[in-house]
Amino acid sequence: MLTRTWLTLKQHRFETIAVVVLCLIAAAASLGEAYRLNSIQLPAGCAIGQRYMFGPDVSAPSTACQLAADRFYAVSNGTGMGLVRVLLGLLPFIVGILFGAPLVAKEIEQGTAPLSWALVGSRRRWLFGKMLAAALLIVPLLLVAGLAADVLQGASSPGLDPHASFENFGSRGVMVVFWGLAALFGTVALGTWLGRTLPAVILALVVCFLARGFWDVGLNRTVLPPLAVMQSETPHDTQNGQNGQMMYGQYAWSPSDLNVYYRTYLDGKPWDGDWNTWWNEHQPVQPTVKIDPTSGLPVGVAVDNGPGPINQIQGPYSVPFVIHGDRYWPIVALESGILLLGSLLCGAVALVWVDRRRPY
Amino acid sequence: MGADVGDSNGAAALAAHGLSKRFRKKVALDAVDLTIPVGSVTALVGPNGAGKTTLIRVCMAFERPNAGNVEVDGVDPWKHRGEALRRVGYVPQKPAVYGGLSVEDHLAMARSLHPGFDRDYARRRLEQLAIPLDQRADTLSGGQAAQLGLAVALGTRAKVLLLDEPLANLDPLARREFIQVLLDAVRSEGSTALLSSHIVTDVEDACDRLVILGGGKIRLDCPLEEAQRTHRLTDADAPPAGATAVGSFLGRGGQKIMTLWRLAPEGAADGAAEGPAGGAAAEAASLEDVVLGYLAAGRGNAGLQLN
Repeated sequence: MLTRTWLTLKQHRFETIAVVVLCLIAAAASLGEAYRLNSIQLPAGCAIGQRYMFGPDVSAPSTACQLAADRFYAVSNGTGMGLVRVLLGLLPFIVGILFGAPLVAKEIEQGTAPLSWALVGSRRRWLFGKMLAAALLIVPLLLVAGLAADVLQGASSPGLDPHASFENFGSRGVMVVFWGLAALFGTVALGTWLGRTLPAVILALVVCFLARGFWDVGLNRTVLPPLAVMQSETPHDTQNGQNGQMMYGQYAWSPSDLNVYYRTYLDGKPWDGDWNTWWNEHQPVQPTVKIDPTSGLPVGVAVDNGPGPINQIQGPYSVPFVIHGDRYWPIVALESGILLLGSLLCGAVALVWVDRRRPY
Repeated sequence: MGADVGDSNGAAALAAHGLSKRFRKKVALDAVDLTIPVGSVTALVGPNGAGKTTLIRVCMAFERPNAGNVEVDGVDPWKHRGEALRRVGYVPQKPAVYGGLSVEDHLAMARSLHPGFDRDYARRRLEQLAIPLDQRADTLSGGQAAQLGLAVALGTRAKVLLLDEPLANLDPLARREFIQVLLDAVRSEGSTALLSSHIVTDVEDACDRLVILGGGKIRLDCPLEEAQRTHRLTDADAPPAGATAVGSFLGRGGQKIMTLWRLAPEGAADGAAEGPAGGAAAEAASLEDVVLGYLAAGRGNAGLQLN
């Protein structure tokens, strides 16, 4: 098995080198950016509250605090950080597609599949060995990059434990590994089916783009809602109750929470009516001003018998349902499990297909 | 092992029964019946598109037959692929080597894929040909790459060797070397080889049996010596005594239309058919003439010319 793993990596020398270089660059860049942020030594709580618009107001920050915060955000909003974030987001897909597409397709394109398939009794075992070799390479590399991204996340959000926060959840930590595996096995299946590397790469890019794009939406509508809890009202909301118009803003957003869905409430009960209709029915009374035709001046105000002044109405309001950061690991396990299941399914499809297809 | 796995001690190294393969509307193999005896070196000859490669690919379980079946050393490769492939050494049409791997890596890979692969045997074969084991495969010449493919096939110590036009891209010297290595191995191991080619002269000295495939059908299947003994060539329509016409084709130099005749068994046996009934001279047919005659018959024209 060791020989086959080594020979598979040697056979895919370009892909191996590219994957190693990419992952190491991503890890080094993440650690570099984290170091830049950490070296600013932003005092805990300094400006973070104001910037994020939650938590206790930081009133009258000191000049030192303000300067440190400015430097901190200059780094965290800078081009370098942007590039690192993009790289971390794309890394598992690049790595998976780069190694997955040619794994079988290149053999078919270059005419080497008949050589191997004539030697091996079971093509499934042959492909399994190759997929295992690819997985053995990319798993530790992506894990290194993912953990480096965790370090970067910790530095980006001082005071927040990256393993108790859903900020940039999908593009760091072990999730990177599982996304990479899903991309790898999915692309192997496509490459086995198509037998051509470039079409497999293009199709895999489209599939990965769609899968990643719809991932959160899909989970938020299927498996996550039962795990979400109603966001508790914040005692720190500055708008709440000032004019009593709407309850927006009553529920504070926390960067460590995972927003799953919103539910509309009215009078403390779930409500699924139409907002526009409700507001039309309860719109504020407009004062009617009478104008004296001779002088052209207002002479009085008539108030009709509407539903009452708006400032006495509590309208419908949305309540966020969230998963708190302290449930980070269960959610990681859940999403990783789904990705792993998808990966195994794709791998199984590839194994079935390689047994059926022609080697040319 | 399943019930369909046959007895490997049978007399046929390879047997096809009513084997048919279609690619959409194109018929590649049309109810082919074929028996390759154990220990023979058989030339599978035919023009491009005759079905040679398809026949070998069916034997390798790369293609599924539409009808009929094939048995390699008594095993149906489509039903028992692993069992069948253990008995077969295969050299594909194009020298298929992994560019990034060294020669030695190829042997290591073969060893890891095929449990019975004899790495030392294959290594010795390559060393005899002075092919450096540490050389990268993409820097090998065409002849060396073909020899590597052959060494990998021979290293399996398979009972049956299937070689799909391995000589097509080789220069004459490399062809001769390849044939020599193949014959040495087959003779020393007592294995069976099926060598497909559309270059008749290449297989003439190497093979002891001839199978001509044209249009997906077997046109001739007999020992090589018999193929030459039972055929005559004339440039006239008058047949040798007791002979039947096979096909006509353009002779060497393009000057004359030649006709290939098949002698009746008794005529072939007593050497009676030295001249046609009409008096024109009948020549002994070369292997190439025999092949050309049958392929012309298959095409139904006289313009066929093989190399």
